[in-house]
This record gives sequence, C-alpha cells and structure tokens, in this order.
Amino acid sequence: MKKLVTGLYVAVTVALLAWGFYQAIYVAPVDAMQGESYRIIFYHVPSASVAFLFFAVSLGGSIAYLAWRRSRPDWAQAGDAWALAGAEVGVVFCTVVLITGPIWGRRAWGIWWTWDARLTTTLVLWLIYVSYLLLRRFAAGPQMQTLAAVLGIFGALDVPIVYMSNRWWRTQHPAPVFGGDSGSGMDPAMASVLLWNMLAWMLWGLLILGLRYRVERKRQGLDASEAQAALN
Amino acid sequence: MDQKAILDHQFVAAAYIITWVIQLGYLAWLALKWRAQKRR
Repeated sequence: MKKLVTGLYVAVTVALLAWGFYQAIYVAPVDAMQGESYRIIFYHVPSASVAFLFFAVSLGGSIAYLAWRRSRPDWAQAGDAWALAGAEVGVVFCTVVLITGPIWGRRAWGIWWTWDARLTTTLVLWLIYVSYLLLRRFAAGPQMQTLAAVLGIFGALDVPIVYMSNRWWRTQHPAPVFGGDSGSGMDPAMASVLLWNMLAWMLWGLLILGLRYRVERKRQGLDASEAQAALN
Repeated sequence: MDQKAILDHQFVAAAYIITWVIQLGYLAWLALKWRAQKRR
C-alpha cells in the first residue's frame, strides 16, 4: 500500500513538472518588455519559495532538537534529521535561485550580478546554510548537533529579511510577484503558469525532502546500533 | 525568428537545463547515499 501511494505521488509530481514545463514554454504569453527571457521566472520563483519553506522546516527541526535533546532523545533525533534535510534540500533550491537569477539578470540588465539588498541577502542565506552543512560534515563530538541547531535557528532569521528586502529597500531586483504593492504583480495568464510550477516544484521538493529525512534516520539508527555493539 | 528571440531562448534553455542538472544530480547523490547505507 505504501509503495502504491509513493508511486502515485511520484507519478503525479512528474506529470505536474511536465505540465508546468509545457505551460512555461508554450502557453505563457510573451512578455511585452522582456520578450522570451522572462520565462526563467517560472523556475526561479518556485525554487525560492521551496527554499524558504525548507529553511523553515530546518528551523522547526532545530528548535525541536534543542527542546527535546534531554527529555525525549528519540524525538530530538527526528527533529535533528528534519533540520538537516530541510537545510540540505533548501540549499539545493537556493543554489538554483542563485544561478537562474543571474542568467535572467544578464539578459534583462546586461550584468550577471549586483550587490542589491535582495541578491546580497539571498547569497548570505545560502552561505549560512552551506556553513551549517559544513559544520555537520566536519565537526565531531556530542556538541555538533547542538551547535548546528543554534546555527540553523540564526540562519532562518535571514529568510524574512530576504523576503522583505525588495519591500523595505529600493532594489534592482524586480518588485514582488505576489504580495507586493499596487504596482506589482503579473498578468493572470502568466500567474497561473507560475502557480502550476510552484505546485510542481513543491511536490518535487517534498519528495526529496522526505527521502533525505529517511536517509538521515537510517544513518542515525545504524550509528546507534554500531555504538551499542562497540559497548558490548 | 529574430536574433533577440534566439538569444532569449538560449538563456531560458540554460536556466532550465542547469536547474534540472542540479536537481537530478542531488537526487542521484541521495540514491547513492541510500544504497551505501543499505550495504552497511
């Protein structure tokens, strides 16, 4: 039954990704100002949304780990696994954002990069979570998970700053597509395509997030049994 | 198709291809990690 549900989920996700791609390339109208190059937004914005969501998952997992590390060690380990999975998959999506954005910028602005508030805060966010992953990879000892959880919590503080950056400050980055002021937004024909792609990438992201969580839980279980065997 | 549209398409294609390479590359790395753990 579980395999059937997973298979169905994968099939729906792949179908939605294909549908989103078709809509982005063949259905969305050409932008009057930017021409065809604006279609990069259909992968760029959903990737940013998924990255933000997964950094929030990492925040929740980090808080759970710190809250339960003494009273409920099993729950704390599960929280730690969610924190790692959220951070790692979030970095994957954030990397996509930091590569697709400059590709679009090169075409639209004539430059790959500018140190405006939105781009800089996004780069800082990526660097914080890469540091988080490096800490987990190279630090050893019982304090590693606690230190990682603290870094994960502080890293997540940058997410609302990134989100609000082009609302608080004047940026070269375009105005918000959703939730901006009266001058922002996009044509309904384009917005629907963006929403399809957001749904598709969200489902894809949840799939790899769940997989990463399971891999980490398995590693925790194997490490615990190996430690137990070494004691006996 | 004019020169501008061709160049636009090339930028879009580059962004989409890089996105898929990153996503599928990560999925492949996860699959390898999963398999390595099954062998432990």
